[in-house]
Amino acid sequence: MIISLLTRTITMGTPLLYGSLSEVYAERSGVMNTAIEGIFLMGAWAGFVGTYLSGGNLLIGLLAAIAAGILTAALYGWITIYLKQHQIVTGTAINILALGICAFFQRVIFGVPVTPLIVQPFKPIAIPLLSQIPVIGPILFNQNILTYLLYALVPVASFVLYKTSLGLSIRSIGENPEAGDVAGLRVDQIRFLTILFAGILCGVGGAFYSIGYLGMFTTTIIGGRGWIAFAICFLGNWIPLGALAGTLIFGLAEAVAIFMQSSGAGLFPNELFIALPYILTIILTVSRRSFNVPEKLGVPYRKEG
Amino acid sequence: MTSKFRDLLVTNILAVVAGLVVSGLLLLFLGKDPLAATLTLFGSLFRDGYTAAEILVKATPLMFTALAFGFTYKANLFNIGAQGQFYIGAVVAVAFSLMFQNSMPGILALIIIVLLTILAGGLWGGLIGWLKAKFNANEFLVSMMSTYVALNIMNYLLRTFLMETKAEYPQTNPLDKAVWLMTIIPGTRLHVGFVLAVLACIGAWVLLYKTPFGFRVRAVGSNKDAAEMAGINSRNIYILAFFISGALGAMGGFCEVNGVQHMLVQNFNPGVGSAGIGIAILANGDPIGIIFASILFGALQVGGNIMGQLSGIPSSIIDLMLGFVMIFVILSYFVREVLETRREKARLKKAVSA
Repeated sequence: MIISLLTRTITMGTPLLYGSLSEVYAERSGVMNTAIEGIFLMGAWAGFVGTYLSGGNLLIGLLAAIAAGILTAALYGWITIYLKQHQIVTGTAINILALGICAFFQRVIFGVPVTPLIVQPFKPIAIPLLSQIPVIGPILFNQNILTYLLYALVPVASFVLYKTSLGLSIRSIGENPEAGDVAGLRVDQIRFLTILFAGILCGVGGAFYSIGYLGMFTTTIIGGRGWIAFAICFLGNWIPLGALAGTLIFGLAEAVAIFMQSSGAGLFPNELFIALPYILTIILTVSRRSFNVPEKLGVPYRKEG
Repeated sequence: MTSKFRDLLVTNILAVVAGLVVSGLLLLFLGKDPLAATLTLFGSLFRDGYTAAEILVKATPLMFTALAFGFTYKANLFNIGAQGQFYIGAVVAVAFSLMFQNSMPGILALIIIVLLTILAGGLWGGLIGWLKAKFNANEFLVSMMSTYVALNIMNYLLRTFLMETKAEYPQTNPLDKAVWLMTIIPGTRLHVGFVLAVLACIGAWVLLYKTPFGFRVRAVGSNKDAAEMAGINSRNIYILAFFISGALGAMGGFCEVNGVQHMLVQNFNPGVGSAGIGIAILANGDPIGIIFASILFGALQVGGNIMGQLSGIPSSIIDLMLGFVMIFVILSYFVREVLETRREKARLKKAVSA
């Protein structure tokens, strides 16, 4: 039972980690990606549509999700970075727009279907040998391809952010864009590209819900998970490894919620477990004291004169 | 009319039109004629008094949720939790209505219910402000999450304590007529809650612009450090502003329950919070502007529903319209900045050459 719970922790944590890693990058460059919920939804929807229309080709679905993620992030980046408009306000608008687009075009493409539309999601792949290791094997090495991609992505993301000049550029324009500008960095351009990269990760993270797990799409499929990924970035102190740690906590909370709902433990109401990740976010937000907030987070860079 | 105000009016109108045109063009994907749909939309809005009044019915909760975002916005705080505050108000209103409806005169019951709604919503919202003041918690995140918590509290109560006697659906028993909000135009659903909403907008404007408290709220909003230097306790402002926002959001729930639904059903009005944010942005946070922006959004909702009934256009067109309108409104902020800078430059040039 513990093993199945932890296996599910990794599964449910996967999309959250895509989201929170994307947020770490975006926010380190100085831009809060408040469109994350909408980009998740676009990814989930495009992933489903791409897979369904290509007759079940998950790769096409994934590419569609990435494209949708980039496009949505580009709209967000253009308005907030180049036009210097308010990030929270713009994000709210894009989240509503994303909901409208997904619901509307779902109807355009599929009409009103008589039976629920389903696709075969990514299946777990048991890695030979590694999956035989007791306890750890089934938990870590019997997941689907999107989770395995993360195993590579977390160390790479961490390395790039801290050990390369690209990572240094991203971090410096989040802390002191004026200095970066003087040193020859094109602040807006780097921020925009970082947001596009975040869009890719969020697109994949969103697609995980539709084509990596449930095999279907509804407009409530994300249900605030984008915001939880957003919160994990804060709670993980804007560090990729912190995001990993936070994700495991939230993945466990979701796994426990699913377990308690299915096992029908009547002791506590189901709603308590559904609300658990959100309550946890509030508690952790309140109890975290030392924040390592990027200095210019959320502030558009305006050149003097 | 100052040139700044003219810009505001013109760019906002253009933004709304642009948003509607773009979402209208998307109807082509459904094989519908956008022009015909638009004619249906506007034609049907004024086809009879009932429909016209329905616009104001829809605008009522939107004014409250827009104020819930707009009021704290003036203190540079982000209350994204209006949806949850709305739910809390709805739950409290329905619970106490069911409790009091047969034990006291309707009007007395309504007054008590309003006070309890304000108190509950205020505490729910004020808690966010308190967490911000006491622990420096990020109010954006906390308020966002509080909506999901409120939703689950509502769902839980709807299938336990508040569930209808038939115990068939997750909804309450219908309310007794004694605790319904009075209808102000016979033959329509327009109820006295609309008047309350307009009064709340005017009240918020007076509070913000004509009282020392409002001045302090705006001072904290424009420059927190300077306000602190001037002896304003920003922590108290956080708590009070969030208390007021929470109470306003909850009043929206009360008006919907006692004025329109006359019961509480699961999943009702799920978009009222985010639409409220859109309205507040369109109105630039101004409480009087919120009245007009809410009526506009109410018209879009009513029109969207009618289009659905008459020509089979899905109701998701409403979200699409809201989304595009909001995007264009934000772009209009940019256009206004450009216009203002240009005027400033022209003024400077003139001053130099003179």
